[in-house]
Amino acid sequence: MHEFPNTRNSLLLKLRDRNDCESWREFVALYRPVVYRMARRRGMQDADAQDLAQAVLISVADSVERWEADPHRARFRTWLTRVARNATIDAFRRRRPDAAAGGTTEVTRLEQHPEPDDEEIHREHRRECFRRAARCVRWEFAEETWLAFWQTTVEGRDIKEVAGQLGKSPGAVYIARSRVMQRLQKKIVEMEE
Amino acid sequence: MDAKSTQCDDARIARFLRGELTAEEERLFEQHLDTCPTCSARLDRSTAAAPRWQEAAELLRDEPIDLEPLSAVFSDSGSGEVARQVVDDGVRRILELLHPTDDPRMLGRIGGYEVAGVIGSGGNGVVLKGHDPSLNRYVAIKVLAPHLASSGAARARFAREAVAAAAVMHENVIAIHGVEEHAGLPFLVMPYVRGTSLQKRIDQNGPLGLLEILRIGMQVAAGLAAAHAQGLVHRDIKPANILLADGVERVTITDFGLARAVDDASMTRSGLIAGTPQFMSPEQARGEAIDPRSDLFSLGSVLYAMATGHPPFRAESSYGVLRRICESAPRAIRESNPAIPDWLGRLVDRLLEKEPGKRFQSSAEVADLLARCVAHVQQPDAQPLPDELQERPATNPPRRRWLVAAVVLAAVALLALATTLPQGDSRKENEPGAATPSAQSTTDEHAARWDDGVDKILEEATETTRRLMEP
Repeated sequence: MHEFPNTRNSLLLKLRDRNDCESWREFVALYRPVVYRMARRRGMQDADAQDLAQAVLISVADSVERWEADPHRARFRTWLTRVARNATIDAFRRRRPDAAAGGTTEVTRLEQHPEPDDEEIHREHRRECFRRAARCVRWEFAEETWLAFWQTTVEGRDIKEVAGQLGKSPGAVYIARSRVMQRLQKKIVEMEE
Repeated sequence: MDAKSTQCDDARIARFLRGELTAEEERLFEQHLDTCPTCSARLDRSTAAAPRWQEAAELLRDEPIDLEPLSAVFSDSGSGEVARQVVDDGVRRILELLHPTDDPRMLGRIGGYEVAGVIGSGGNGVVLKGHDPSLNRYVAIKVLAPHLASSGAARARFAREAVAAAAVMHENVIAIHGVEEHAGLPFLVMPYVRGTSLQKRIDQNGPLGLLEILRIGMQVAAGLAAAHAQGLVHRDIKPANILLADGVERVTITDFGLARAVDDASMTRSGLIAGTPQFMSPEQARGEAIDPRSDLFSLGSVLYAMATGHPPFRAESSYGVLRRICESAPRAIRESNPAIPDWLGRLVDRLLEKEPGKRFQSSAEVADLLARCVAHVQQPDAQPLPDELQERPATNPPRRRWLVAAVVLAAVALLALATTLPQGDSRKENEPGAATPSAQSTTDEHAARWDDGVDKILEEATETTRRLMEP
């Protein structure tokens, strides 16, 4: 069975600062799907993608055990993101030879873009932030408010049509989605801090 | 209609975004937006720049890669009918997939098992009663719901979680005989436990007796401890997943790890939730990272439900339930059931702490604590109530006023002490070694001059301060 880096004792001991512990937990929750998705997009099977994500997290966890809190250096979270980026690129790079044996079109894709670049990592990271923020703030709104936002913004449906369906006026839909969007942005800023 | 409502006003948009409009102003603003595309567009722009809106849309739109289209399957309150229909549909589809059998008493065949009936069905699968002809025993067969089995990822995960769960050997955790696959549907084979679920028991008989609550809780905690020791979090501890065997006092936790198989798939794609969230932890409700302490919160909810006959967080909709889980404290157990002692309420409150760090930290600790509670209830004279559950002033609201009084008095005492300290300090200059004892004796003198009641309050204040200082 997998070792769970999010509960590794030596790591939590190292991160005696409560905030750092929390940062680590949040980081694991956030970063695992980031790596997973990039791996899946390269045609990896579910289990392989999970293993790869696990390998990246373990490698980051090892680095954290060597991390020294130093007021002059980057904040833990910023530092983590940087270490994770390198670990991710390394992990994808190392996987290349054995993954090329399959011979499918996905493998061709994998060979063409063997490891993710900064832009992709950033984008996936941001995607995960958005998704997590959405899950968090979703409960702060009434059902129709959320649906007004979701259906008009994410699903790109017509304002009037959605308004009619939700039994609201178009103005109310504008107001609702503005509220949700505002909250969502604030939450993401909080998460990225 | 007020003329103001029909006027375009950029300042009003800014004030809306700062949350400064009154309800009436907002109503007028809304009316104005109905007919003014210019202001609607301005509101959008002032809320977020166009690229941000686009980014939100793109990033929140699900990729087919890791999510199944579940929005039609699970639904929030109001369309429960749809959900039930899908579940029934799941049972029907699974039954249709069974192979024909020669035995007329049986419904069909799955793998090497004869299916004798349907035990139950839920969002993530169907449980069949099967007969294993080779060993001549009944088994429970849990088949992953077809809508979940259509994804390779969910299938692989189901199998992997099942293997992990199978590694947990404990009398309070259901054993797993095997993981197999039939017509593309993975299924688990488990012992058939004759008995009833804790949920049914509560539904039929209402609140349970104290000793029974403690014994069941203790066994659930012990089973969880065995799983947690292997790094396995249950994620879906609820009365429906706790089986009470007929005739014997044995509790079995079922569905280990299976919750994870549906977890990702059921993300709030368009704001819809899978299953009943009533026993979820706040961190689960928020979709955050979870660890074994999440199961402890759920165990707290289960204990609460046994004591009162209903879950601690109730609301009209799943949405409302999740909100309460994250934000509100449940009603005190004793308000629903005065027969429950305060100390059990305290134990449950600790488990139901919103912050995982404030809960008990391990299920082994909880199992041990509950075992000592059982001993205490059986032999109150020989077995004292565990220390952890002794009443403590700070957790008891009626004594809050005393706390305030105590803190004020402590401040007075400190002030009094401060006025006498210069003497101590002057002595310190002459005689360094005597500084501390002299300050000490000064305090003692003051304390001695007050009457006993004050003494006690001071002590309490010191104790409270100490506790408040603790991280």
